[in-house]
Amino acid sequence: MAEKKKRRRADSDSNSASQPFKNLLKSDAQILQILKSVTSSSSSSTSKPLTLADLALSSTCREVSDLSLSSVQSTIESLVLQLTHQILSGQGFSFIVPSRSSSNQLYVPELDRIVLKDKSTVRPFSHISSVRKTTITAKILSLVHQLCLKNIHVTKRDLFYTDVKLFQDQVQSDAVLDDVSCMLGCTRSSLNVIAAEKGVVVGRLIFSDNGDMIDCTKMGMGGKAIPPNIDRVGDMQSDALFILLVEKDAAYIRLAEDRFYNRFPCIIVTAKGQPDVATRLFLKKMKMELKLPVLALVDSDPYGLKILSVYGCGSKNMSYDSANLTTPDIKWLGIRPSDLDKYKIPEQCRLPMTEQDIKTGKDLLEEDFVKKNPGWVEELNLMVKTKQKAEIQALSSFGFQYLSEVYLPLKLQQQDWL
Amino acid sequence: MESESPTETKKGKSKTPKKEKESILKQKSPAEFFAENKNIAGFDNPGKCLYTTVRELVENALDSAEAISELPVIEITIEEIVKSKFNSMIGLVDRERVDEELYDDYETAKAREKRLEKEARAQEIQAKNAALGKKVKEHAVSKSSKGRGEASFYRVTCRDNGRGMPHDDIPNMFGRVLSGTKYGLKQTRGKFGLGAKMALIWSKMSTGLPIEISSSMRGQNYLSFCRLDIDIHRNIPHIHLHEKRDNKDKWHGAEIQVVIEGNWTTYRSKILHYMRQMAVITPYAQFLFKFVSDAPDKNVTIKFARRTDVMPPVPVETKHHPSSVDILLIKRLIAETSKQNLMQFLQHEFVNIGKPLAERLIGEMGPEFSPKMAVKSLTDQQIVRIHQLFRQAKFDDPSGDCLSPAGEYNLRLGIIKELHPDMVATYSGSAQVFEGHPFIVEAGVSVGGKDVKQGLNIFRFANRIPLLFEQGGDVVTRTALKRISWNNYKINQTQDKIGVFVSIVSTKIPFKGTGKEYIGDDISEIASAVKSAIQQCCIQLKSKIVKKMQAREQQERKRNLSKYIPDASNAVYNVLQEMAKSHASKKKRYEEGDADILQKVSDHLITKETLYEKLTQHVEKVDYEMALEYATQTGVREEPREDIYLQSLDGKANLQHHACTLNFP
Repeated sequence: MAEKKKRRRADSDSNSASQPFKNLLKSDAQILQILKSVTSSSSSSTSKPLTLADLALSSTCREVSDLSLSSVQSTIESLVLQLTHQILSGQGFSFIVPSRSSSNQLYVPELDRIVLKDKSTVRPFSHISSVRKTTITAKILSLVHQLCLKNIHVTKRDLFYTDVKLFQDQVQSDAVLDDVSCMLGCTRSSLNVIAAEKGVVVGRLIFSDNGDMIDCTKMGMGGKAIPPNIDRVGDMQSDALFILLVEKDAAYIRLAEDRFYNRFPCIIVTAKGQPDVATRLFLKKMKMELKLPVLALVDSDPYGLKILSVYGCGSKNMSYDSANLTTPDIKWLGIRPSDLDKYKIPEQCRLPMTEQDIKTGKDLLEEDFVKKNPGWVEELNLMVKTKQKAEIQALSSFGFQYLSEVYLPLKLQQQDWL
Repeated sequence: MESESPTETKKGKSKTPKKEKESILKQKSPAEFFAENKNIAGFDNPGKCLYTTVRELVENALDSAEAISELPVIEITIEEIVKSKFNSMIGLVDRERVDEELYDDYETAKAREKRLEKEARAQEIQAKNAALGKKVKEHAVSKSSKGRGEASFYRVTCRDNGRGMPHDDIPNMFGRVLSGTKYGLKQTRGKFGLGAKMALIWSKMSTGLPIEISSSMRGQNYLSFCRLDIDIHRNIPHIHLHEKRDNKDKWHGAEIQVVIEGNWTTYRSKILHYMRQMAVITPYAQFLFKFVSDAPDKNVTIKFARRTDVMPPVPVETKHHPSSVDILLIKRLIAETSKQNLMQFLQHEFVNIGKPLAERLIGEMGPEFSPKMAVKSLTDQQIVRIHQLFRQAKFDDPSGDCLSPAGEYNLRLGIIKELHPDMVATYSGSAQVFEGHPFIVEAGVSVGGKDVKQGLNIFRFANRIPLLFEQGGDVVTRTALKRISWNNYKINQTQDKIGVFVSIVSTKIPFKGTGKEYIGDDISEIASAVKSAIQQCCIQLKSKIVKKMQAREQQERKRNLSKYIPDASNAVYNVLQEMAKSHASKKKRYEEGDADILQKVSDHLITKETLYEKLTQHVEKVDYEMALEYATQTGVREEPREDIYLQSLDGKANLQHHACTLNFP
């Protein structure tokens, strides 16, 4: 329908009326040339990432690492023996759990990610406020111990269903699971507990999943679901020029169906909203192995930027593992608040920001990971000032394919990212 | 209701030409006005009339007793009179219907056919349902709507131990509308100064029967008896009998008896609520409420016992505040004043104008005013000037001394006595002002109690009388529902049984609506005073609730901890067992102490039960220690005890009947 409309308009008037700025587009070959130069420069400039040890922070900050199953097992066993000693001596038992509260988080600009400080809390059994959590912690430990013995993977949901009566709610078992991985000093993947698949990937990528070779250009329209256990993923190959990170499923489907990755060689990834661990690990792995620039396409609202920041600097909830989960140097391609006027997005497609939105926006302005990028600060200030937001879908007002046919190519051509 | 106006009215009107050739200037007596607009005084329909009659009589009785600082004892009786009895009372012979078709409820042949058909169908369905074994509600027999001929009549009697009335004043006090003793500027219960007179007008309209009054004053050796009705056109009493009788028991007070049309069925709960709420706000009074009818199962007797002998002071009459007067009022004050000159007038007829302020005011009025000028010689323009200045000038706020709030103590007692709540908090605000009128807000919040429904139960009082109607727009309702975040005070707005009591007293209650049944939400001074009073109560309650929750936690700690022992010991033991296996098969090496434990696990010397027991012992120890700590922290602290009011026995045993249970709406 958009096609038809466009043609009709094209007969009578110029193209730009229905799809503005289309006339600015250069030929695809020229754009590709631009992109290639960018990619080559970015891949050469990547250096070895800094670690906490480099900054002499390893004593005051806590970080987990991938541990082998057997070492997870022996850590649990020594912990349980300690507990047994305590119980037998008649003192009850207690855990010492690293605090994951927001007061125990630290943004390290040199690393460009959030890390966990070293504060811990004692979780005694014989206290009314912690008895529940302590019991759940013991239970999760014993469940993970079983996983280690049997060498299998289960989902978080599986874990929850082993004792619904005790856990009551998956949120509780999930939270304790994070506590346990923090306490044992290993990543959550090392516990052999995975989350259900959420993210999808499509485009110019070939990788092996548990031994099977996957070609992401031949996965149909929906793409390949990102496997939950990243340790079985390997052998990544690609001729893409960049990775396109998409916030929303709808935009992802549009790009996948239009085979955008064939016009401009790229890999398209989405986690359908807030990213899960698997998608973040997968993105990190792609970035590290393929050394491609990552461009993000998110909504022009505070939550879009927040999602971007989770990919980039990590979430507070999982800051203990930010080294493995964060992908440095993600560029904000769009939709940026300044694009609303630049691309003349009509008033009816913009939404007024709610009080809550504005508050979130202002809070974000206070965050260090936003402050470090002056371009982001400027954009966010503009958003809070105009009090307008827009979703990626706002571009559909110029035709459903405007996103893939005009907006993205033009953005790439102008290297318009921050 | 127009058609019901007494026949006299029609006769009177028939003298004026009905042809409406020209409009003739007619005059209406106040009594006539109220007869035609009785809804503004709360006489909307027979049910409401019964309710309003009761409340007017009760409020008069309270005022009368309080006026002589006597603890009120009030008996109110409603006696149902069936039609035949009523007819015999007025000497009318009960007549059988002869011409059936004449009546409104006559069933025509067609209607009868229809009804029978419908009934047959209903029966069929019922039979079917019965056959299917379904339980069905009894079909309510459709009541034929009561014709007006079926009206029910009630004799309402109210007896008090108040001041009584001077023998010669009685006819005028009842037979003349808008003549009263309550017209000064002070806090009063009455709304219009109509009181019993409206009941009399209503009785005249609906039954035509006169009112009967017995009264005696303190130290009077006779008893006045008076039977009278009112001449509505001329607004004068029409006396049937006015005599002095023996006063053997040295009784003082008044007993008023009036027969009116009413509706007990529909207004039963309203009247009972009114009595109960009145008992809450006046715990120093004793009420005996009776409903008597021919059907014994319908009878109700409730005694609201006295719980205190502390009475609030009698409200005193006060002078007007300059910000609250209008031009008319200034003129009236000038006409009534005994003061000669302007200076004295300002100083003595208003509150908060002292000599220096009066001088400054007169100076500000303009050159044609002087302190010595005769106040009665002021021109209309000059009065307007004074009024303008009163509006603009700044005066001190009037004090609340002239007000008589229920008192925090009494409010608290009232709530405890009638609701038996688990917890109660009360608060009395200081006097505040709107438009020159002082007001005091008192509030109580209760949690729990008997016969209280879940959620918010709101009790509103204005000048110490309960407000029952038009709750939705009221400032108290709206504040409690919308502006109090109950969660902050650990009170669950939907689950807990919350009672909210707010009493506002003022020299002028800013009622809204014709019936004067609610206080508007638009006066910000009152709204914020109500909010803060309720909040103060909630703050008091919060600490009590938190303490209670802590106490409960104390009690349940052991149980809550023990609950988790099986899960915890299982979890630990499962790991130990696996480890013991690998230890036994020598897959792994452990340190000495650890190896020892694992060996014991393999040998079943340490089992799940061992862990269980150890944890149980630990929990018991911890529980004991914490209980000890809690006890030393809280000490032997007890709630302050409340004085118990013991009623003096007057020979008769006080039987407390609770023939009915009340549920607050």
